[in-house]
Amino acid sequence: MLISWRYRERNTLVQKLDPRARWIFLLAVMFSVIQFWDLRFLLFFFGLALLYYHLARLTWRETRRVWTFVLILVVIIIGINALITGRGGSTAVLRDTRHTVWEARWVVPGVGWVIHPFITVEKIVFALAQMIRMLTIAILFIPVAYTFNPNHYGVTFRRLGLPDKVAFAMDLAFRFVPTLARDFSLTLDAQRARGYEVEKLSGGLIAQIRKMAPLIVPVTINAIVGAEDIVNAMDLRCFGLRPRTWLEELRYRPRDYALIGFSAAVLVGSILVRTLGRLGDFWVPGAILRLFGF
Amino acid sequence: MERKKGYAFGTREVVYSALGAALYGVLSFATNMLALPAAGNLAFRPAVCIPMFFGVAFGPWVGFISGFLGNIIGDALSGWGFWFWWDLGNGLMGLIPGFAASMITDYRATRSFVIADLFSILGVIVGMGLASLSEMWVSGVDLNTAVVGYFFPAALTNIVNGVILVPILMVAYAAIVGRTGR
Repeated sequence: MLISWRYRERNTLVQKLDPRARWIFLLAVMFSVIQFWDLRFLLFFFGLALLYYHLARLTWRETRRVWTFVLILVVIIIGINALITGRGGSTAVLRDTRHTVWEARWVVPGVGWVIHPFITVEKIVFALAQMIRMLTIAILFIPVAYTFNPNHYGVTFRRLGLPDKVAFAMDLAFRFVPTLARDFSLTLDAQRARGYEVEKLSGGLIAQIRKMAPLIVPVTINAIVGAEDIVNAMDLRCFGLRPRTWLEELRYRPRDYALIGFSAAVLVGSILVRTLGRLGDFWVPGAILRLFGF
Repeated sequence: MERKKGYAFGTREVVYSALGAALYGVLSFATNMLALPAAGNLAFRPAVCIPMFFGVAFGPWVGFISGFLGNIIGDALSGWGFWFWWDLGNGLMGLIPGFAASMITDYRATRSFVIADLFSILGVIVGMGLASLSEMWVSGVDLNTAVVGYFFPAALTNIVNGVILVPILMVAYAAIVGRTGR
């Protein structure tokens, strides 16, 4: 099995930004967007996310699998939420002034249970707002795997304030990945040579899980045995006694300060709009009501 | 016998946290690639036993980082992006079994299996519960959708995987504990 990071150098504006500034931007926008249900505000964040995604210059070919997953998830979750469970998440959707577009009343034969599905204009608008919100967050965070250098995670989060040891654990984890992937591949081949057919696991769910043990156990136990040498080597070099230095040094440039300033403005602005302005609640556009004849 | 684990975070914990995270990430990615049985958004992911086992064997912080960072690595390898609340939920799946670490002295004893499994189940319920409920204010789903659409599929498969595989890993680990010299 070949393990390859989705990351590659693309010479884009997004990748030229300091990783710390990018994390601050992503988190600020995420915590801003989740405060709103008003389509007008959501569309602003959606546009911002699309711009960021565009600047990351990802291709459809490399992201189509994750997009398929995200779109299926969005449709399933919004479908269950709006139709099956019979309401939207925002309390505004439950207001008495419903504009019903479609409803039915079915009786389950034998038990006599009544099922009463209905769709209102409010539910449709809520589903639309929900979809835009979920897609905005997905669009913001999908580029993370493709544009952040795995070798920079440790130093990035150290400089963002994480303790030295935790940041080093992050750094070390990314370095372990290729070795462990190779070990897994060797173990898989060795077990296959003994007649183990992972693609043809038979039996029930429990039996199938138990049959995964010949793959998982040797890889894990071998890794633990090998890790003792690393612990000893690090202890001998007095790891953790003094603050450590990092091979990669991160430096903010003017554009990074600009992005951080913009991120802070977006977050603070969103909080002020919600708390002081009392704007951003669920809103049904008059045009959509008219579209359905109300 | 190894030094009994607690809440300290020294060199040993740094290395095992990194190892647990890398293992969880690689095994999640690898078992996804093997196209194991799954239905809908109900994923068959045996690798969830890794943060639980690392919690049980090396303490709560190691379990937490294994789950949290391991999920980030698995997503980075698969190209899924970054989903903070689900990463945090996976971290809790390792953290809570870690509270059982100080109660376990013999990794072969039936009592140890029961304790490890109970804490693993609790970890899954809390971790997946937090991640699922977070969708209520992140995605705006209602409680029913959070429970039916997110929590049940994630929690049920994780509990079955953990309950079966964590004791198997404990037995295997018992065989090497004496060799570590710690």
